[in-house]
Amino acid sequence: MLRYFMKRFGMMLVAMFLIILLTFTIMHAIPGGPFTSDKKVSEEVEQALNEKYHLDKSLPEQFFQYLGGILHGDFGPSYKYTGKEVSEFISTGFPVSAKLGLITIVFVLLAAIPMGILAAVKNGKWQDMLVMGAATIGVTIPSFVIASLLIYFFAFRLNWLPTYGIDTWKGYILPIIALGGYSLSYMARLMRSSLLEVMGQDYIRTARAKGLSEPKVVWKHAMRNALIPVITVLGPTVANLMTGSFVIEKIFAIPGLGVYFVNSVSQRDYTTIMGVTIFYAAFLMAMIFIVDMFYCLIDPRIKYD
Amino acid sequence: MDNKWEMLEATNEDREKIWTKNRTFAGDVWFRFRRKPTSIAGFIIIVLLILFAAAGPLFTEYSYSNQNLQVVNIPPRMKVFQTPDKDGYLYITQGMQVLQVNTDGTLGSQLTKVREESNRMMTIFDCDGTEVALYYGQKPYVIANPQKNTIYPSTELWNKSYLLGTDNLGRDILTRLMYGTRVSLMVAFVAVIVNMIIGILYGGISGYLGGNVDAVMMRIVDIISTIPLTLYVILIMVIMGSGLQSIIIALGTVYWVDMARVVRGQVLGLKEQEFVQAAKTIGSSTKTILLTHLIPNAMGSILVTVTMLIPSAIFMEAFLGYLGIGLQPPLASLGTMCNDATENLRSCPHQLFIPALVICLIMFAFNFVGDGLRDALDPKLKK
Repeated sequence: MLRYFMKRFGMMLVAMFLIILLTFTIMHAIPGGPFTSDKKVSEEVEQALNEKYHLDKSLPEQFFQYLGGILHGDFGPSYKYTGKEVSEFISTGFPVSAKLGLITIVFVLLAAIPMGILAAVKNGKWQDMLVMGAATIGVTIPSFVIASLLIYFFAFRLNWLPTYGIDTWKGYILPIIALGGYSLSYMARLMRSSLLEVMGQDYIRTARAKGLSEPKVVWKHAMRNALIPVITVLGPTVANLMTGSFVIEKIFAIPGLGVYFVNSVSQRDYTTIMGVTIFYAAFLMAMIFIVDMFYCLIDPRIKYD
Repeated sequence: MDNKWEMLEATNEDREKIWTKNRTFAGDVWFRFRRKPTSIAGFIIIVLLILFAAAGPLFTEYSYSNQNLQVVNIPPRMKVFQTPDKDGYLYITQGMQVLQVNTDGTLGSQLTKVREESNRMMTIFDCDGTEVALYYGQKPYVIANPQKNTIYPSTELWNKSYLLGTDNLGRDILTRLMYGTRVSLMVAFVAVIVNMIIGILYGGISGYLGGNVDAVMMRIVDIISTIPLTLYVILIMVIMGSGLQSIIIALGTVYWVDMARVVRGQVLGLKEQEFVQAAKTIGSSTKTILLTHLIPNAMGSILVTVTMLIPSAIFMEAFLGYLGIGLQPPLASLGTMCNDATENLRSCPHQLFIPALVICLIMFAFNFVGDGLRDALDPKLKK
């Protein structure tokens, strides 16, 4: 177990290093410096700028300086907003995104698991059809379409909920549904198929044969094993929600990290793009790592090689 | 032969002969595939969409980029008012102009403005010599007779000039939809083919060579699969600039990991089989074995992975388009059309709903076809 943990951790570090290297290389492969513009800048000014942003050094030197900075939580200055640090964007934007993401995850789990169980227990009946029909729709409709539909009907037509902002609890409802719609549908489907599979196994027949009530069979015996695949996809789901939130934050004007990322992309603010990408990647990899470790702990059948 | 039940003399030849019609693998797959109504529906939808995207532009008189600022944001179903001489209709545009509409629903020219009467909340237009007023003292605005202060009778008409209406630059939505579908499908197909080639080669080599090569190659795949790929697609788009080529390259180079894993798994199982050993014995080269023996046998799973990849490529393209880093205007894709439409979602929801519906149709269709293909190609997998 410890060996497996160390191996995974080592792999994560290697991947992280590669991501930083890759991002750095890609961002520095763009022709022209960050201050190349139509305006002709005098040579002294350009030199001063280059010196300020350490662009006068060789690339490997710049890279290790950048890497050292990241380890101290310093992602360098923003190229577009003078005087702003990239880490400032992250520290203001991330808590907002994280809060939205966390609420969405809780919502997804609370809704998807009962839906999946219902569909599996009522396999082939109308409840199953209903849940699976909804889940199929949820998997195929892109989140921005769901978001726009929700805004149109609930905010414009019915005037029940605000179209943007998360100042009140009401503002959270639409973003959560739009953001979690895909994961919710996916997890409900997964929960259903995994519970159905477990219910077909011998030990469930044994449990029934010894006269246990059906709820007890489902909740106590089947659920323990059926939940494992759902937990496995939690890591990728976090990743999905995080990247999905770019669009959702843009639509609902939520001042999260996604908005900073999208803005920096459209404004070509290279250091911000680089910093936020690395931060996202690190966060997501850490989440997947934690979920994987947790998964090993709860499922004793897994062998670690 | 009078008695059909009479015993025939059995010869050795008869015993060996297969009496039923031979069924090819493809025929077998098709037989299982068509039993599922959802797969067939998906298949038909895909064919229709491809036809719509490929042949549709031949039948339209508009181009996807031609702007006509006189007919901005016209809906497919218009509320129109009768003209004073009752031989046509008038439509109030969002830019507070008045358009003539013929009785068959085609759009005519814009009326010329005569004067503004702001104290009466009216703009006076000239309609074939008669003065009509656009009264904006109440919402929704109406066309009135400025002399008698009466409102002309109104009705609803389908827009025959622009069947699905126009967008915020006066471009025909139907035409843009055809081009958008074409771009989206093309991006998805090309990106998936690129993915397929990279994935097949990578997975095939890794699985067939095995040993240390396999270990290293798969470790690389493991690392790549932990990287959030959406971020990298966006990053590649940033460097290469927005445009059709960069989307294809960005999507094509990133999503091959799943394909590589699938192919590797298949090759690992297949390479131990006798026909591969036989090929080795007669001295076939690694390349021949890989390309003519192993990969064709793994084609079933590859095909299923491909049909599942296409919707995610379309999804990704729409996502990028929606974020505004997809295609350069005036080129349209389904995602950019949705993005353009969000600005006036309140007044013209159809501009968003129409491309969104097409995206959903494509996603549905490919998912269903993928499901059907998986069941048809590999009946063992069926639960």
